[in-house]
Amino acid sequence: MNGTLRALAAARITHVIGIPDNTSAPLFDTLQTHPSIQLVTVTREGEAFAIASGLWLGGARPLVVIQNTGLLESGDSIRGTAVRMAAPIPMLITGRGYAKMAAAGLTPGEARTSELLTRADVDSTALLTEPTLDAWGVPFERCEGDHDPSEALSRTIASARAEGRPRAVIVARALN
Amino acid sequence: MLTRAQLLEPLARHRTNEVVVTTMSVTRPWGRLSDHDLDFASADSAMGHAADLALGIALARPKRTVICLNGDGSMLMTLGTLATVVGARAGNLVIMVVDNGNYEITGSQAVPAAGLINYAAMAEAAGFPRVFRFDEPREYVEAVPGILTTPGPTLVQVRVEPGSEGPIGRSSEEPARYLRLSLAEWSRVFRDALTADPT
Repeated sequence: MNGTLRALAAARITHVIGIPDNTSAPLFDTLQTHPSIQLVTVTREGEAFAIASGLWLGGARPLVVIQNTGLLESGDSIRGTAVRMAAPIPMLITGRGYAKMAAAGLTPGEARTSELLTRADVDSTALLTEPTLDAWGVPFERCEGDHDPSEALSRTIASARAEGRPRAVIVARALN
Repeated sequence: MLTRAQLLEPLARHRTNEVVVTTMSVTRPWGRLSDHDLDFASADSAMGHAADLALGIALARPKRTVICLNGDGSMLMTLGTLATVVGARAGNLVIMVVDNGNYEITGSQAVPAAGLINYAAMAEAAGFPRVFRFDEPREYVEAVPGILTTPGPTLVQVRVEPGSEGPIGRSSEEPARYLRLSLAEWSRVFRDALTADPT
């Protein structure tokens, strides 16, 4: 977790907003008692984007941390706040189902047929994550394998601020 | 019940430097009463997410009172925000639920359980330390100064007569200044005004 915490500190993140999953739980646990980053746990992921956008309006520097299932749930919240406001909201999205997708010999760019979306050995969340981000106009990068998630997170935060728009990093491996 | 004017006019009279977030049917009426860079219309935005947007502003500016004029329909869309507010300890946030019992801007169709819901009780059960419920104007008018100055978080449910506001949009033709710019443009006006003051 040290790499992730260093990335947050270097970017002067003030608030982390989201709901933990198994990948991000160690980060949430650490942030519970962090001296300078306030952790805001929400009841559903759509709230995270509205809160993050409000934080940005107030001059804070937020980061949203959610699972890709929560990304799908967030729908109109992302569109109507971060995207529509052109708010530089970075988001770390943990990638449920990416390992399963790879084990089935599939890639994120597969055609989303009914057959594929209902297969028991495929997690449809992983198939839908990137097309959804594309549909909402949110640029992203995918971090998996031996990619460094803390470096990817740093790039995502910097790009969001430089471009004045939300950006995402999909983390399909453990955080470091 | 209060009229919308009886709800908004006392608030406008007592308002000094508080942030006011509006949504749905109070957006234009508030904009006719107030022309302030710290007004923010959650319009052409995410339906049902005014209260959590206001929470974010409140957390960024803990010394500034933030008022959210939320519709009852909007409140029902994100009831979980009541728990999020308490968990975040946003003592400077005031959520006012403008309870007219309907989705006014689409033609006043009834919200679920219209007239039966006690939002103040819901908030109290979620851990809000201060809750109010008003059905008539005199008690409301007397309570407004204290609502704006006493630490919370605070939820105020006000029963309001149904009105006839139509769909909310943004255009250069809008009488309310905060609706004349795009959401992105007004966000920057608002942010610049709010962050210019260290409080």
